[in-house]
Amino acid sequence: MISRRQFLARSGGLCVALSLPLSSARGLAADLPGGGTLTAYLELQPDGRVRLLSPTSEMGQGTHTGHAVIIADELDVELAVIEVENPEPADAFRRNGSMSSGGSWGMRGWHEPLRKAAAQAREMLMAAAATEWGVERATLDTEPGYVVHAASGRRLAYGELAAAAASLMPPADPPLRDLALARYRGRPAPRVDIPAKVRGEPVFASDVERPGMVYACARLSPVFGAEVAGMDPAGALAVPGVLKVVAIAGGAAVIAEHSYAAIRGADALDIRFAATDHDRLDSATISAQLRAGLEDDSNAIEARREGEIPATLAAADRILEAVYEVPYLAHAPMEPWTCTVEFDAEGDLHLWAPSQAQDRFLKAAAETAGLPENRVHVHTTRLGGGFGRRLGAEGIPGAVMAAREVGRPVKFFWRREDEFGQGWYRPAQVARLRAGLDAEGRITALAIRTAGPSLVSSFFSGGLKAGQLDGTSVQSLRDSRYRAPALMIDWVHVPQPVPMAAWRAVGATQNGFFLECFLDEVARAAGRDPLSVRRELLAHDARALKVLDTAADQAGWGTPLPEGRARGLAYVESYGSLCAQVAEVSRKNDRVIVHKITCALDCGSVIMPDAVRAQVQGGIVQGLSTALHEQIVITGGAASNTNFDSYPILRMPDAPLEIDIILIESGEAMGGVGEPPVPPTAPAIVNALAALSGVPIRQLPLS
Amino acid sequence: MAKIDLRVNGETHTLEADPGMPLLWALRDLLHLRGTKYGCGIAACGACTVHLNGAAVRACMLPLSAAVGAEVTTIEGLGGNHPVQQAWIAEQVPQCGYCQSGQIMQATALLAANPSPSREQIRTGMAGVLCRCGTYLRIEAAIQRAADALRPQDDPA
Ligand code: FES
Ligand code: FES
Repeated sequence: MISRRQFLARSGGLCVALSLPLSSARGLAADLPGGGTLTAYLELQPDGRVRLLSPTSEMGQGTHTGHAVIIADELDVELAVIEVENPEPADAFRRNGSMSSGGSWGMRGWHEPLRKAAAQAREMLMAAAATEWGVERATLDTEPGYVVHAASGRRLAYGELAAAAASLMPPADPPLRDLALARYRGRPAPRVDIPAKVRGEPVFASDVERPGMVYACARLSPVFGAEVAGMDPAGALAVPGVLKVVAIAGGAAVIAEHSYAAIRGADALDIRFAATDHDRLDSATISAQLRAGLEDDSNAIEARREGEIPATLAAADRILEAVYEVPYLAHAPMEPWTCTVEFDAEGDLHLWAPSQAQDRFLKAAAETAGLPENRVHVHTTRLGGGFGRRLGAEGIPGAVMAAREVGRPVKFFWRREDEFGQGWYRPAQVARLRAGLDAEGRITALAIRTAGPSLVSSFFSGGLKAGQLDGTSVQSLRDSRYRAPALMIDWVHVPQPVPMAAWRAVGATQNGFFLECFLDEVARAAGRDPLSVRRELLAHDARALKVLDTAADQAGWGTPLPEGRARGLAYVESYGSLCAQVAEVSRKNDRVIVHKITCALDCGSVIMPDAVRAQVQGGIVQGLSTALHEQIVITGGAASNTNFDSYPILRMPDAPLEIDIILIESGEAMGGVGEPPVPPTAPAIVNALAALSGVPIRQLPLS
Repeated sequence: MAKIDLRVNGETHTLEADPGMPLLWALRDLLHLRGTKYGCGIAACGACTVHLNGAAVRACMLPLSAAVGAEVTTIEGLGGNHPVQQAWIAEQVPQCGYCQSGQIMQATALLAANPSPSREQIRTGMAGVLCRCGTYLRIEAAIQRAADALRPQDDPA
């Protein structure tokens, strides 16, 4: 016999669960008189309010609202009665064994489980009403917030049925409502998190307050991975307000009554770091090593091969070759790393953190504290930006060590300089691209080799086995829909000591730039239209052609432009969505002016059109920012540009003057939205600039 | 340490603090006004923007001593229903939201100084406040919308 709770967590989630997790601080609606927990995701209050436990973190992508929309339509309630919260990690909230928000899975991964949960809840409410009235379930229907019995005109509010419904088992296979009845999906739904965000009210990690809390500023090694060699806390302790200096992994935490004293104490701390093997590493060396990797045939790992590359190249009318390069990139979320740790009266650890990866955070905290995982409680706050940076838990151990040492709740923070300087970047990478062309200028062979450090081996504890392919290094190349008579993709691993992590769209950003800009080089060399070159490579794929053609048509591809302007095109598929963009640019002295970006996105189907548009706009701005400005410069084994003065990101005057978005609902499997708009932007802009000057641009950033 | 009288959002607070402490940390940690954010600490991102006598300033670089005798307004002091805040909701501007207090404080100061800003003036006037989520086009639209709402009806501009 299993308990109802166990059953709920199983039926609501993806695999076996042992407990139904609910935030202990808030209490269960089920504990309130007349309320009830209907599924792992849904609690119904007696007054009809619905508490939705969303498995995703809200970092501006809008999934909390998206999940509320799914629930409102399927459960049949007003959107306004739904309150969205983040639960603690548990199986019902995990995908592939972990609770996290990445890979643009927020909607495409949770649409079906949440819809099913709402359908279960609705069935349970109707079953409770059927019992109450002594009628058949089949004679009942719902109206928003009510079960109704048309024959007798009777109706019962959901809240009144909550307790009875909560005592029932959720049906295994509830019927889903006809989507034609949906009142919210596909329409503009105002985001639930926005009103608080215009009033300065949301609680980001940096805004968490706990009784008796102190502040800990980290002082960390600027050189990647260097250990502490020694420190003298006297200078730090002399700063008024400083309470204690605690040794933590990779440095120290200076604990004080407020942030300012903690920061001044961190500055005043006399700390020395041990030498490393890479104390003299710089960007030029890395670049030379990566480029040398391109020639390392014996270590190339094959990722894709179609046709006969050597023979096809040998038979080609002409061969084009180019080498491309991109630098390390910082995520630069606007909120530097912060979390708060408190040990409660029972010795359980509570962590308030801006997490994109709750299970990683949970494990890191439990391991550091030496506690079993069930005694660690991860409370997800609002995130002041994520972009993949909050998938990593490297800021957790220091916070736990500081809280344990000081015996009070600790708000632990990194300064902006550490947020930039500690690493976990989008990898630097190079690529060599070769194309064989026939007499008509058609691509007959395409051979692409990328070389660089491995994100997977840096970010995942399991690392990468010798000879194993890091799929992110060839992402959007090995799975590209482009086809040529001969096609070959391989990768050479060139390890570097710089920590890396997933950066919005991951490998698709660099590989999209490489291939899309090279295709324009091919088109120019062959005197062909870049659109027709791509149409040829996609001739077998109606869905991709439609995306490409939609962007081109909407942008007026091929129509005359004012003097000094040019268009550039790029098409990149990632995270299950197809995206084509056309950039229209000019140059004014040193400035690149982006007059317009036209974007066609096929993400299968759209639940929240305005939120999708917002993601496209934001992704394009971020893509443009990387094209124009962004690179981490490494000197002496450390990042040398660690604030916004030396690592500029796009400011408003450089934003595109117009972004025109066409959402295509192909009805194919739902794709991601947060990441796919990013990769095409940089190559579209570079292609437009190259069209303007006739000179290829093979390295980013432009500035 | 010194006794410091600070006027914030129309109230006077007496603080026992280092006069060199940046206003940002006094607002956040001593007065628990958490709407004003830390982003860079070097006046390069605008996340900490507040008003000092109605003008936008970066609180991370402004010592408490420089705020004495002045009227400080933070996002909490805008009232929640300011036309700029309403426009921000209407245009669904925020994504993560972390930069938005600074954006809104910069925008209200901009509109107070120039009720009918051109597109160019909006973009230049907002250049000091970064948004990593990339909400710039919506910010621009929201400022235009707020400017329309704030302009007296009979104003031919
Ligand atoms: S925190 Fe003040 S400008 Fe960045
Ligand atoms: S909304 Fe996220 S930084 Fe601006």
